[in-house]
Formats: sequence, structure tokens, C-alpha cells
Amino acid sequence: MKVCFSSEGRNLDSQLDPRFGRCKYFVIVDTKTNDIKVVENEGLVSEHGAGVSAANLVVDEGVDVVVTRNIGPNSMKILTNAKITIYEGKADTINSNLELLKQDKLNEIKEPRKAHSGLQNRWGR
Amino acid sequence: MKQIVVISGKGGTGKTTLTSSFAYLAKNRDIADCDVEAPNLNLILDNTPMKRELYIGGKIAYIDKEKCIECGKCKSVCRFDAVKDNFQINDIKCEGCGACVEVCPNEAIKLIDDETGDVIISSIEGGKFSYAQLRIGADGAGKVVTKVRQSLMEDENKPELIIIDGSPGIGCVVISSLTGCNMAVVVTEPTQSGLEDLMRVLNLVDYFRMKAYVVVNKFDINLEKTKEIEDFCSKNNFEVVGKIPFDPYVNKAIKESKPVVQFDESIAGREIKRIWNIINEKIKEV
Repeated sequence: MKVCFSSEGRNLDSQLDPRFGRCKYFVIVDTKTNDIKVVENEGLVSEHGAGVSAANLVVDEGVDVVVTRNIGPNSMKILTNAKITIYEGKADTINSNLELLKQDKLNEIKEPRKAHSGLQNRWGR
Repeated sequence: MKQIVVISGKGGTGKTTLTSSFAYLAKNRDIADCDVEAPNLNLILDNTPMKRELYIGGKIAYIDKEKCIECGKCKSVCRFDAVKDNFQINDIKCEGCGACVEVCPNEAIKLIDDETGDVIISSIEGGKFSYAQLRIGADGAGKVVTKVRQSLMEDENKPELIIIDGSPGIGCVVISSLTGCNMAVVVTEPTQSGLEDLMRVLNLVDYFRMKAYVVVNKFDINLEKTKEIEDFCSKNNFEVVGKIPFDPYVNKAIKESKPVVQFDESIAGREIKRIWNIINEKIKEV
């Protein structure tokens, strides 16, 4: 399984970046081989659509799981369509979040309830 | 450190009126004006600029006159009609896509930094205040919002609380001012568009799994619509924490560049004080 963390730094001791679209790096860990890959986030420097470029990048890396803290509607749509599961990480290092994930202690982030009365079919056209 | 963002969906419902009053009432807080396309909190908050940082938004094409052979290839590929007849770049039209750089046979064109504006940090009573000043015609974007927010975090004296004045809508800049906040205060007004835009922005807030509290401004100008807003909120489990009455003092306060809570006689000011006390308690719990 390939797990992608939004990260403030380039290694496992770095803090989890609270933002997905504009995080500094993506640290990608292959839990089978323990290989680590670090990718700079193009979303950070894009003026508009940070979430879209960040999500595209993550999809292209072929990851199965994303761990972050805040994720917006555009990124979520792309990741969900690519069948990537998103987990809400803790304000801690990548390493400890990886441990929590392995122990199944992180909560999954799902698309919010869509059914605000009167709002059906408006979002996500 | 906690962060509260004040947003509205619809524009002109009273975000800055509320934020400036919160700024006056709160203690140990920093303020960020993230309504980067139309910042105005700096007019109301008594502030002294301390630091000004150049903000580079994106890239823009530049044609080197010495190397240009005026073949016109750049002109033919530019979708934004940004290459002028004298083979110079129209700064306002250029989007920095780089198509001209690709086709130029003489390597006369390069992309250079586009100086989009400045991020300014000011000192205010009891804290710091950051905002952006963009150049004329420049585009506000999530990136500049991120800069404005980060400029407060980079400082050694981290505040206990940051209050963010957001922008209207549900777009890029709003998303960027929402992410990572602990709570959203959503200001609306009793009009049809006030209600519709409230629904849309609350839907966006849901994505960030953030607590949102609703304030109806000028609630007494249309009691029927106010009722509709309250019904919508209770049905969808959003708490309406306050209803601010229409009050000519708000206008007077704006004219005098002061937060309305400074006027003791103001009924709107009194309600805002009450709202702040509620928010101030709630933010401790999240």
C-alpha cells in the first residue's frame, strides 16, 4: 500500500502539514517495501486551484491512501474519483501518523452530507 | 493557537463590521484581512505598518528587444492577445502560460516574476495585523491569502488567537482562508441572495469539518426572511448565535473609521458584544 502524507519537511520526522492543497511536500511511503519518496507540491506555488494541482500530482503517483488534516472540495472530488481513501491525521510527525494508520486509529474523511435542504444537486454539478 | 474566520457567502453583509468589532473586543489576538481583493480592515483598525514584503503571484512573459526578430509567432499562439503590435507584452493581459516562450525561434522571450503586490504586517494595540495590497488589475488568489496568514505565524510572538476577515463567495480565496481554522462565523442578511449564498458557503464549510455559527445582520429589515434563515439553520443543525438589528450607528462608525462597538449607545454594537462573548466561550471548547 502506498500512503501519501502532506508534510512540512522531507522526511519521516517532519510534521504533518495541516493543509493538503498548499502543503510543502508530499512524503509517500510504500508500506510493503518501506520505500520513501518525497515530491514537492506544485500546488503550493499555483495562484489558483492549488487543490486541483496537488490532487492530480498525488493521483499520478498512484497512491492508495492520503493522510492530511484539511482538504477542500476540489481535491476531495479528484481523490475520491481516483478511489483514494483519505484519513484525518493528527498534529504530529509523519512517522507517528503512519503508526496510527497501521493501527487503524485514524478517522476516514468522507464527502460531507450533501443534503442541505434546498441545496441538492447544486454542489458538484 | 486558535483561528476564527469570518465569512459570508454574499458580499456586503457585514463581515468587516463584525471583524473590526471582534478585533476591538478580543484580547491577545492577531488579525488577518484575507479579503485580498478588497481589503478595508486597515482603514478601521488603527495600525502602524512594520514590514512590507513583495508578493510574487505568478510569472509573466518578457520579450528581449535585442533578440526579438519580430517574426510574430508569439502573437499567433497567444490566446490572451497579450503581445502588442510593437512586440511588447501587455502586463494586464498576460497570464504567464509560457506558450510564447515555447515557440520563439530566437529564445527572446522568458518568464519573469510577476510582482503582484505587497503583504504588509502592521502593529495594532495588543497584537499584529496583516493584509495585502495588490497592484491595480492584479488577481487575488489563494496563494496571497496563504501568505497573509503565514506572515502572522512566522513571527516569534505567536498569538493565542487569530481572527480572519474572509472574502465573499465560495471560491479559491475563501477556501484558502477557511482551511486550518477552528471555527467559522458566517454573517448573512435577510434577503433571498443572503440566504442562498449562506447555504452555499455552509456547504463549503462542511468539507472542512469545522464548526460554523451564523449571524443575521440587519435582521429586522425583513423578519420573514430572517425566519426562513433561522428555519434553514435549525433544520441543518447550524446555530444562529446572534441577530443584529439595523442601526444608523453602523454607518456613523464606518464614516469615523471606528468599530461600531466603541459607541455605547449603538444597539448593533451591544448585540455584537453579546455575540463576541458567545464566540469567545465557544472557541475555548473547540
